[in-house]
Amino acid sequence: MVWSPNMHRSLLLLIAVATLAGCATSPVQPWQRGRLARWDMRWDADPLRAAMDAHTYFSKEGTTGAIGAAGGGCGCN
Amino acid sequence: MAARPSASLSLLLAASAALLGTRSAQADDGGGTQGVGYRFNVYDEDALSAPIAEGDPRRYHVDTQQFSLNTGFGNRNTLSVNAVHEVMSGSSPWYLIPGPDNKPLEVLSGATIRDHRSAVTAALTHDNGGNDTRTFSASYSQERDYHATSIGAERTLPLNSALTLGFGGSFSHDLLRPTDALLYGRVERAQKNTASVFGSLSWVLSKDAVIESGVQFNYQSGFLSDPYKLVVVGETLEPDTRPDRRSEAAWLVRYRYAVNADAALHADARVAMNSWGQHSLTLETAWYQRLRDGWQLIPGLRYYTQDSARFYAPFLDSVNDRYFSSDYRLGGFGAISVNLDVRKRFGHWQLNAGAERYHAATDLALGGSDPNPGTVSYTRLFAGLDYQF
Repeated sequence: MVWSPNMHRSLLLLIAVATLAGCATSPVQPWQRGRLARWDMRWDADPLRAAMDAHTYFSKEGTTGAIGAAGGGCGCN
Repeated sequence: MAARPSASLSLLLAASAALLGTRSAQADDGGGTQGVGYRFNVYDEDALSAPIAEGDPRRYHVDTQQFSLNTGFGNRNTLSVNAVHEVMSGSSPWYLIPGPDNKPLEVLSGATIRDHRSAVTAALTHDNGGNDTRTFSASYSQERDYHATSIGAERTLPLNSALTLGFGGSFSHDLLRPTDALLYGRVERAQKNTASVFGSLSWVLSKDAVIESGVQFNYQSGFLSDPYKLVVVGETLEPDTRPDRRSEAAWLVRYRYAVNADAALHADARVAMNSWGQHSLTLETAWYQRLRDGWQLIPGLRYYTQDSARFYAPFLDSVNDRYFSSDYRLGGFGAISVNLDVRKRFGHWQLNAGAERYHAATDLALGGSDPNPGTVSYTRLFAGLDYQF
Protein backbone atom coordinates (compact mmCIF):
# COMPACT_ATOMS: atom_id res chain seq x y z
CA MET A 1 0.00 0.00 0.00
CA VAL A 2 1.46 3.38 -1.02
CA TRP A 3 0.58 6.44 1.06
CA SER A 4 0.18 9.24 -1.39
CA PRO A 5 -0.28 12.94 -0.51
CA ASN A 6 -3.87 12.56 -1.75
CA MET A 7 -4.59 9.93 0.92
CA HIS A 8 -3.21 12.21 3.64
CA ARG A 9 -5.33 15.08 2.34
CA SER A 10 -8.39 12.82 2.37
CA LEU A 11 -7.77 11.88 6.00
CA LEU A 12 -7.39 15.52 7.01
CA LEU A 13 -10.59 16.34 5.15
CA LEU A 14 -12.40 13.53 6.99
CA ILE A 15 -11.24 14.92 10.35
CA ALA A 16 -12.33 18.45 9.40
CA VAL A 17 -15.77 17.28 8.25
CA ALA A 18 -16.28 15.25 11.43
CA THR A 19 -15.22 18.22 13.56
CA LEU A 20 -17.51 20.66 11.76
CA ALA A 21 -20.39 18.18 11.90
CA GLY A 22 -19.93 17.94 15.66
CA CYS A 23 -19.85 21.73 16.10
CA ALA A 24 -23.02 22.09 14.07
CA THR A 25 -25.13 19.91 16.35
CA SER A 26 -27.26 21.31 19.13
CA PRO A 27 -26.72 19.94 22.65
CA VAL A 28 -28.54 16.67 23.37
CA GLN A 29 -30.51 16.95 26.57
CA PRO A 30 -30.27 14.22 29.21
CA TRP A 31 -33.90 13.12 28.66
CA GLN A 32 -33.13 12.59 24.95
CA ARG A 33 -30.44 9.97 25.55
CA GLY A 34 -32.55 6.84 25.80
CA ARG A 35 -31.31 5.47 22.45
CA LEU A 36 -27.68 6.28 23.25
CA ALA A 37 -27.99 4.17 26.42
CA ARG A 38 -29.02 1.08 24.48
CA TRP A 39 -26.89 -2.05 24.52
CA ASP A 40 -26.42 -2.02 20.75
CA MET A 41 -24.98 1.52 20.88
CA ARG A 42 -21.99 0.58 23.05
CA TRP A 43 -18.47 0.80 21.63
CA ASP A 44 -17.99 -2.92 22.36
CA ALA A 45 -21.50 -4.32 22.49
CA ASP A 46 -20.23 -7.89 23.05
CA PRO A 47 -17.01 -7.77 25.11
CA LEU A 48 -16.27 -11.52 24.85
CA ARG A 49 -16.55 -11.44 21.08
CA ALA A 50 -14.50 -8.23 20.93
CA ALA A 51 -11.77 -9.89 23.03
CA MET A 52 -11.61 -12.89 20.65
CA ASP A 53 -11.56 -10.59 17.62
CA ALA A 54 -8.70 -8.54 19.06
CA HIS A 55 -6.71 -11.64 19.98
CA THR A 56 -7.17 -13.23 16.55
CA TYR A 57 -6.31 -10.13 14.52
CA PHE A 58 -3.34 -9.37 16.81
CA SER A 59 -2.03 -12.89 16.10
CA LYS A 60 -2.45 -12.84 12.32
CA GLU A 61 -1.84 -9.24 11.25
CA GLY A 62 1.28 -7.06 11.35
CA THR A 63 -0.13 -3.90 12.92
CA THR A 64 -2.15 -3.24 16.06
CA GLY A 65 -3.94 -0.42 17.81
CA ALA A 66 -7.12 0.14 19.79
CA ILE A 67 -8.75 2.67 22.07
CA GLY A 68 -7.95 1.42 25.56
CA ALA A 69 -5.17 -0.25 27.52
CA ALA A 70 -3.17 -2.61 25.26
CA GLY A 71 -2.89 -5.63 27.61
CA GLY A 72 -0.35 -8.43 27.40
CA GLY A 73 1.01 -10.34 24.44
CA CYS A 74 1.10 -13.97 23.43
CA GLY A 75 3.39 -16.32 21.53
CA CYS A 76 0.79 -16.77 18.81
CA ASN A 77 1.86 -18.31 15.52
CA MET B 1 -42.01 28.36 21.97
CA ALA B 2 -42.19 25.51 24.44
CA ALA B 3 -41.06 26.29 27.98
CA ARG B 4 -37.74 24.69 28.95
CA PRO B 5 -37.65 22.60 32.14
CA SER B 6 -35.91 24.08 35.16
CA ALA B 7 -32.41 22.90 36.14
CA SER B 8 -33.67 20.74 38.99
CA LEU B 9 -36.37 19.20 36.80
CA SER B 10 -33.72 18.55 34.14
CA LEU B 11 -31.62 16.64 36.64
CA LEU B 12 -34.63 14.61 37.75
CA LEU B 13 -35.57 13.82 34.16
CA ALA B 14 -31.97 12.92 33.38
CA ALA B 15 -31.85 10.45 36.23
CA SER B 16 -35.21 8.97 35.18
CA ALA B 17 -34.17 8.74 31.54
CA ALA B 18 -30.91 7.05 32.47
CA LEU B 19 -32.68 4.52 34.67
CA LEU B 20 -35.74 3.88 32.53
CA GLY B 21 -33.92 4.07 29.21
CA THR B 22 -31.19 1.70 30.24
CA ARG B 23 -33.49 -0.70 32.03
CA SER B 24 -36.00 -0.95 29.19
CA ALA B 25 -33.23 -1.49 26.68
CA GLN B 26 -31.67 -4.15 28.87
CA ALA B 27 -34.99 -5.90 29.35
CA ASP B 28 -35.46 -5.99 25.59
CA ASP B 29 -32.04 -6.86 24.31
CA GLY B 30 -30.04 -8.24 27.18
CA GLY B 31 -27.52 -5.44 27.55
CA GLY B 32 -26.96 -5.70 31.29
CA THR B 33 -23.41 -5.06 32.42
CA GLN B 34 -23.43 -7.44 35.42
CA GLY B 35 -23.45 -11.17 35.00
CA VAL B 36 -21.48 -14.23 33.98
CA GLY B 37 -20.73 -15.55 30.53
CA TYR B 38 -19.21 -18.55 28.77
CA ARG B 39 -18.15 -19.02 25.14
CA PHE B 40 -16.68 -21.93 23.23
CA ASN B 41 -14.80 -20.83 20.10
CA VAL B 42 -13.42 -22.96 17.28
CA TYR B 43 -10.77 -21.37 15.06
CA ASP B 44 -9.70 -23.38 12.01
CA GLU B 45 -7.21 -22.23 9.37
CA ASP B 46 -7.53 -23.47 5.80
CA ALA B 47 -4.89 -25.88 4.58
CA LEU B 48 -2.46 -24.23 2.19
CA SER B 49 -3.82 -24.62 -1.33
CA ALA B 50 -0.59 -23.55 -3.05
CA PRO B 51 2.10 -26.21 -3.56
CA ILE B 52 4.39 -26.54 -0.56
CA ALA B 53 7.99 -27.69 -0.47
CA GLU B 54 7.82 -29.65 2.76
CA GLY B 55 5.76 -30.18 5.91
CA ASP B 56 2.13 -30.69 6.71
CA PRO B 57 -0.27 -28.33 4.84
CA ARG B 58 -2.82 -28.51 7.66
CA ARG B 59 -2.42 -25.30 9.62
CA TYR B 60 -3.55 -24.05 13.00
CA HIS B 61 -6.64 -25.22 14.84
CA VAL B 62 -7.51 -23.56 18.16
CA ASP B 63 -10.30 -24.42 20.60
CA THR B 64 -10.88 -21.56 23.03
CA GLN B 65 -13.04 -21.36 26.13
CA GLN B 66 -13.86 -17.96 27.59
CA PHE B 67 -15.34 -17.20 31.00
CA SER B 68 -16.41 -13.78 32.24
CA LEU B 69 -17.71 -12.31 35.48
CA ASN B 70 -18.89 -8.74 35.91
CA THR B 71 -20.19 -7.76 39.31
CA GLY B 72 -20.75 -4.60 41.28
CA PHE B 73 -19.58 -4.19 44.85
CA GLY B 74 -19.25 -1.42 47.38
CA ASN B 75 -20.33 2.00 46.28
CA ARG B 76 -20.00 2.51 42.49
CA ASN B 77 -17.35 -0.20 41.93
CA THR B 78 -17.41 -2.90 39.25
CA LEU B 79 -15.11 -5.91 39.10
CA SER B 80 -14.62 -7.59 35.74
CA VAL B 81 -12.75 -10.89 35.46
CA ASN B 82 -12.11 -12.71 32.19
CA ALA B 83 -10.42 -16.08 31.89
CA VAL B 84 -9.34 -17.86 28.70
CA HIS B 85 -8.09 -21.36 28.06
CA GLU B 86 -7.13 -22.46 24.57
CA VAL B 87 -5.65 -25.56 22.99
CA MET B 88 -3.65 -25.08 19.79
CA SER B 89 -2.53 -27.72 17.30
CA GLY B 90 -1.37 -27.93 13.68
CA SER B 91 1.53 -26.72 11.60
CA SER B 92 3.00 -23.27 11.17
CA PRO B 93 4.97 -21.58 8.33
CA TRP B 94 8.68 -22.13 8.98
CA TYR B 95 10.54 -20.58 6.03
CA LEU B 96 10.31 -20.09 2.25
CA ILE B 97 12.52 -21.48 -0.49
CA PRO B 98 12.87 -20.43 -4.13
CA GLY B 99 10.74 -22.61 -6.40
CA PRO B 100 10.25 -22.75 -10.16
CA ASP B 101 10.58 -19.27 -11.73
CA ASN B 102 11.94 -18.10 -8.37
CA LYS B 103 8.44 -18.20 -6.85
CA PRO B 104 8.55 -18.81 -3.09
CA LEU B 105 7.46 -22.20 -1.79
CA GLU B 106 6.40 -22.66 1.81
CA VAL B 107 8.14 -25.03 4.20
CA LEU B 108 5.89 -25.77 7.14
CA SER B 109 6.61 -27.41 10.43
CA GLY B 110 5.16 -30.91 10.87
CA ALA B 111 1.70 -31.00 12.42
CA THR B 112 3.29 -31.65 15.78
CA ILE B 113 2.69 -28.32 17.46
CA ARG B 114 0.42 -28.87 20.43
CA ASP B 115 0.28 -26.23 23.11
CA HIS B 116 -2.19 -24.61 25.41
CA ARG B 117 -2.57 -21.09 26.73
CA SER B 118 -4.27 -19.88 29.88
CA ALA B 119 -4.88 -16.22 30.58
CA VAL B 120 -6.73 -14.17 33.15
CA THR B 121 -7.56 -10.45 33.11
CA ALA B 122 -9.06 -8.50 36.01
CA ALA B 123 -10.29 -4.92 35.88
CA LEU B 124 -11.65 -2.77 38.69
CA THR B 125 -13.71 0.28 37.72
CA HIS B 126 -14.79 3.04 40.05
CA ASP B 127 -17.64 5.16 38.68
CA ASN B 128 -17.93 8.68 40.05
CA GLY B 129 -21.09 9.16 37.99
CA GLY B 130 -21.72 11.08 34.79
CA ASN B 131 -19.12 9.17 32.72
CA ASP B 132 -16.32 9.96 35.21
CA THR B 133 -14.63 6.57 35.70
CA ARG B 134 -11.26 5.17 36.77
CA THR B 135 -10.24 1.64 35.75
CA PHE B 136 -7.23 -0.37 36.90
CA SER B 137 -6.45 -3.67 35.20
CA ALA B 138 -3.94 -6.51 35.30
CA SER B 139 -3.50 -9.61 33.17
CA TYR B 140 -1.37 -12.75 33.02
CA SER B 141 -1.01 -15.15 30.10
CA GLN B 142 0.90 -18.42 30.19
CA GLU B 143 1.97 -20.89 27.53
CA ARG B 144 4.62 -23.58 27.68
CA ASP B 145 7.12 -21.20 26.08
CA TYR B 146 5.64 -17.74 26.71
CA HIS B 147 4.61 -15.73 29.76
CA ALA B 148 3.10 -12.23 29.59
CA THR B 149 2.23 -9.96 32.51
CA SER B 150 0.60 -6.58 32.09
CA ILE B 151 -0.91 -3.75 34.12
CA GLY B 152 -3.00 -0.82 32.92
CA ALA B 153 -4.95 2.24 34.04
CA GLU B 154 -7.66 4.21 32.25
CA ARG B 155 -9.70 7.31 33.01
CA THR B 156 -12.79 8.78 31.39
CA LEU B 157 -13.63 12.38 32.15
CA PRO B 158 -16.67 14.34 30.93
CA LEU B 159 -15.64 17.71 29.52
CA ASN B 160 -19.21 18.92 28.97
CA SER B 161 -22.62 17.41 28.18
CA ALA B 162 -21.45 16.23 24.73
CA LEU B 163 -17.73 15.48 25.06
CA THR B 164 -15.96 12.80 27.11
CA LEU B 165 -12.18 12.55 27.30
CA GLY B 166 -10.52 9.16 27.76
CA PHE B 167 -6.86 8.46 28.42
CA GLY B 168 -4.68 5.79 29.92
CA GLY B 169 -1.68 3.55 29.59
CA SER B 170 -0.40 0.04 30.08
CA PHE B 171 2.85 -1.86 30.45
CA SER B 172 3.52 -5.48 29.51
CA HIS B 173 6.52 -7.66 30.28
CA ASP B 174 6.82 -10.86 28.21
CA LEU B 175 9.21 -13.75 28.80
CA LEU B 176 10.05 -16.27 26.04
CA ARG B 177 11.56 -19.72 26.57
CA PRO B 178 11.37 -21.39 23.12
CA THR B 179 10.99 -25.16 23.05
CA ASP B 180 13.74 -27.37 21.58
CA ALA B 181 16.10 -24.40 21.75
CA LEU B 182 19.30 -26.45 21.87
CA LEU B 183 18.13 -28.87 19.17
CA TYR B 184 17.33 -26.11 16.67
CA GLY B 185 19.83 -23.45 17.79
CA ARG B 186 17.09 -21.08 19.00
CA VAL B 187 17.53 -18.44 21.63
CA GLU B 188 17.03 -20.17 25.01
CA ARG B 189 15.55 -17.29 26.95
CA ALA B 190 14.54 -13.77 25.97
CA GLN B 191 12.21 -10.98 27.02
CA LYS B 192 10.42 -7.98 25.65
CA ASN B 193 8.60 -4.99 27.11
CA THR B 194 5.69 -3.01 25.69
CA ALA B 195 4.62 0.42 26.91
CA SER B 196 1.38 1.83 25.57
CA VAL B 197 -0.54 5.10 25.98
CA PHE B 198 -3.83 6.21 24.45
CA GLY B 199 -6.14 9.20 24.37
CA SER B 200 -9.67 9.52 22.99
CA LEU B 201 -12.54 11.94 22.66
CA SER B 202 -16.14 10.74 22.38
CA TRP B 203 -18.76 13.10 21.09
CA VAL B 204 -22.57 12.91 21.31
CA LEU B 205 -23.60 14.20 17.86
CA SER B 206 -27.36 13.82 18.29
CA LYS B 207 -29.90 11.80 20.26
CA ASP B 208 -29.23 8.99 17.77
CA ALA B 209 -25.51 9.23 17.04
CA VAL B 210 -22.18 9.26 18.82
CA ILE B 211 -18.63 9.28 17.48
CA GLU B 212 -15.28 8.60 19.10
CA SER B 213 -11.79 9.38 17.86
CA GLY B 214 -8.64 8.18 19.57
CA VAL B 215 -4.93 7.54 19.18
CA GLN B 216 -2.71 4.86 20.65
CA PHE B 217 1.09 4.76 20.77
CA ASN B 218 3.06 1.61 21.57
CA TYR B 219 6.78 1.21 22.15
CA GLN B 220 8.30 -2.27 22.22
CA SER B 221 11.84 -3.20 23.14
CA GLY B 222 13.69 -6.47 23.62
CA PHE B 223 13.57 -9.68 21.58
CA LEU B 224 10.99 -8.99 18.86
CA SER B 225 12.03 -11.75 16.42
CA ASP B 226 10.12 -15.01 16.02
CA PRO B 227 12.34 -17.76 17.44
CA TYR B 228 10.51 -20.44 15.42
CA LYS B 229 11.03 -18.91 11.98
CA LEU B 230 13.99 -19.07 9.60
CA VAL B 231 15.05 -17.24 6.44
CA VAL B 232 16.87 -18.68 3.43
CA VAL B 233 19.97 -16.55 2.76
CA GLY B 234 21.86 -17.90 -0.24
CA GLU B 235 22.65 -21.51 0.60
CA THR B 236 22.12 -21.19 4.36
CA LEU B 237 19.23 -20.94 6.81
CA GLU B 238 19.41 -17.99 9.20
CA PRO B 239 17.17 -17.24 12.19
CA ASP B 240 14.47 -14.59 11.79
CA THR B 241 16.23 -11.36 12.81
CA ARG B 242 14.27 -8.18 13.51
CA PRO B 243 15.15 -4.85 15.16
CA ASP B 244 15.00 -4.86 18.96
CA ARG B 245 12.76 -1.79 19.03
CA ARG B 246 9.45 -0.99 17.41
CA SER B 247 7.25 2.10 17.71
CA GLU B 248 3.63 1.91 16.63
CA ALA B 249 0.93 4.54 16.23
CA ALA B 250 -2.75 4.08 15.44
CA TRP B 251 -5.61 6.49 14.87
CA LEU B 252 -9.14 5.16 15.28
CA VAL B 253 -12.64 6.50 14.66
CA ARG B 254 -15.77 4.71 15.87
CA TYR B 255 -19.33 5.74 14.99
CA ARG B 256 -22.63 4.44 16.38
CA TYR B 257 -26.01 5.35 14.91
CA ALA B 258 -29.41 4.26 16.23
CA VAL B 259 -31.28 3.83 12.97
CA ASN B 260 -34.61 3.25 14.70
CA ALA B 261 -35.95 1.63 17.86
CA ASP B 262 -34.78 -1.83 16.71
CA ALA B 263 -31.58 -1.29 14.74
CA ALA B 264 -28.16 0.28 15.12
CA LEU B 265 -25.26 0.80 12.73
CA HIS B 266 -21.63 0.46 13.82
CA ALA B 267 -18.81 1.83 11.64
CA ASP B 268 -15.13 1.77 12.68
CA ALA B 269 -11.96 2.86 10.90
CA ARG B 270 -8.30 2.56 11.89
CA VAL B 271 -5.06 3.78 10.34
CA ALA B 272 -1.90 2.32 11.85
CA MET B 273 1.82 2.49 11.14
CA ASN B 274 5.02 1.32 12.76
CA SER B 275 8.73 2.06 12.66
CA TRP B 276 9.39 -1.13 10.68
CA GLY B 277 7.77 0.55 7.68
CA GLN B 278 4.33 -1.04 7.81
CA HIS B 279 1.12 0.93 7.24
CA SER B 280 -2.38 -0.47 7.53
CA LEU B 281 -5.99 0.52 7.07
CA THR B 282 -8.94 -1.24 8.73
CA LEU B 283 -12.61 -0.60 7.91
CA GLU B 284 -15.32 -2.40 9.85
CA THR B 285 -19.09 -2.20 9.94
CA ALA B 286 -21.90 -4.10 11.65
CA TRP B 287 -25.67 -3.93 11.73
CA TYR B 288 -27.47 -4.74 15.01
CA GLN B 289 -31.05 -5.79 14.26
CA ARG B 290 -33.54 -6.66 16.99
CA LEU B 291 -36.28 -9.10 15.91
CA ARG B 292 -39.38 -10.56 17.58
CA ASP B 293 -39.37 -12.85 20.62
CA GLY B 294 -35.93 -11.83 21.90
CA TRP B 295 -33.98 -12.66 18.74
CA GLN B 296 -31.15 -10.47 17.46
CA LEU B 297 -29.22 -10.70 14.23
CA ILE B 298 -25.84 -9.03 13.78
CA PRO B 299 -24.16 -9.23 10.36
CA GLY B 300 -20.75 -7.58 9.94
CA LEU B 301 -18.05 -6.88 7.38
CA ARG B 302 -14.34 -6.06 7.85
CA TYR B 303 -11.59 -5.06 5.43
CA TYR B 304 -7.89 -4.90 6.36
CA THR B 305 -4.85 -4.03 4.27
CA GLN B 306 -1.18 -3.74 5.20
CA ASP B 307 2.08 -3.26 3.36
CA SER B 308 5.41 -4.97 3.96
CA ALA B 309 7.98 -4.25 6.62
CA ARG B 310 11.10 -2.82 4.99
CA PHE B 311 13.15 -5.91 5.89
CA TYR B 312 10.55 -8.49 4.76
CA ALA B 313 11.63 -10.81 1.96
CA PRO B 314 10.54 -14.37 1.13
CA PHE B 315 14.25 -15.30 0.78
CA LEU B 316 17.56 -13.58 0.13
CA ASP B 317 20.51 -14.24 -2.18
CA SER B 318 22.90 -12.66 0.30
CA VAL B 319 22.84 -10.64 3.50
CA ASN B 320 22.25 -7.02 2.50
CA ASP B 321 20.78 -5.82 5.77
CA ARG B 322 21.14 -6.46 9.50
CA TYR B 323 17.52 -7.53 9.64
CA PHE B 324 15.49 -10.04 7.63
CA SER B 325 12.25 -11.94 8.07
CA SER B 326 9.99 -14.02 5.85
CA ASP B 327 7.13 -14.04 8.38
CA TYR B 328 3.91 -13.62 6.37
CA ARG B 329 2.61 -11.18 9.01
CA LEU B 330 5.36 -8.76 8.00
CA GLY B 331 4.57 -9.08 4.29
CA GLY B 332 1.91 -7.18 2.40
CA PHE B 333 -1.63 -8.55 2.13
CA GLY B 334 -5.27 -7.61 2.35
CA ALA B 335 -8.08 -9.46 4.11
CA ILE B 336 -11.87 -9.49 3.97
CA SER B 337 -13.97 -11.06 6.66
CA VAL B 338 -17.71 -11.49 6.96
CA ASN B 339 -19.47 -12.48 10.14
CA LEU B 340 -22.93 -13.19 11.44
CA ASP B 341 -23.96 -13.40 15.10
CA VAL B 342 -27.31 -14.55 16.50
CA ARG B 343 -28.58 -13.91 20.02
CA LYS B 344 -31.70 -15.22 21.73
CA ARG B 345 -32.89 -13.97 25.08
CA PHE B 346 -34.71 -16.16 27.66
CA GLY B 347 -35.41 -14.04 30.75
CA HIS B 348 -32.07 -13.56 32.48
CA TRP B 349 -30.38 -15.98 30.08
CA GLN B 350 -29.03 -15.27 26.65
CA LEU B 351 -27.81 -17.72 24.02
CA ASN B 352 -25.09 -16.48 21.66
CA ALA B 353 -23.74 -18.02 18.48
CA GLY B 354 -21.75 -16.69 15.58
CA ALA B 355 -19.49 -17.38 12.65
CA GLU B 356 -16.71 -15.53 10.85
CA ARG B 357 -15.08 -16.27 7.51
CA TYR B 358 -11.69 -14.51 7.01
CA HIS B 359 -9.83 -14.58 3.71
CA ALA B 360 -6.41 -12.98 3.21
CA ALA B 361 -4.53 -12.64 -0.07
CA THR B 362 -1.88 -10.42 -1.62
CA ASP B 363 -4.23 -9.25 -4.37
CA LEU B 364 -6.60 -7.85 -1.72
CA ALA B 365 -3.92 -5.40 -0.55
CA LEU B 366 -4.41 -1.78 -1.55
CA GLY B 367 -1.91 -1.10 -4.32
CA GLY B 368 -1.00 -4.79 -4.60
CA SER B 369 1.80 -6.64 -2.88
CA ASP B 370 4.83 -8.83 -3.47
CA PRO B 371 4.40 -12.62 -3.14
CA ASN B 372 3.41 -13.72 0.36
CA PRO B 373 2.34 -17.39 0.20
CA GLY B 374 1.81 -17.76 3.95
CA THR B 375 -1.29 -15.55 4.16
CA VAL B 376 -3.96 -17.18 6.24
CA SER B 377 -7.66 -17.82 5.68
CA TYR B 378 -9.78 -19.23 8.45
CA THR B 379 -13.28 -20.00 9.74
CA ARG B 380 -14.25 -19.16 13.29
CA LEU B 381 -17.38 -20.41 15.09
CA PHE B 382 -18.59 -19.72 18.60
CA ALA B 383 -21.49 -20.51 20.89
CA GLY B 384 -22.14 -19.60 24.49
CA LEU B 385 -24.47 -18.62 27.25
CA ASP B 386 -24.73 -15.44 29.36
CA TYR B 387 -26.61 -14.94 32.62
CA GLN B 388 -27.38 -11.42 33.75
CA PHE B 389 -27.87 -10.63 37.43
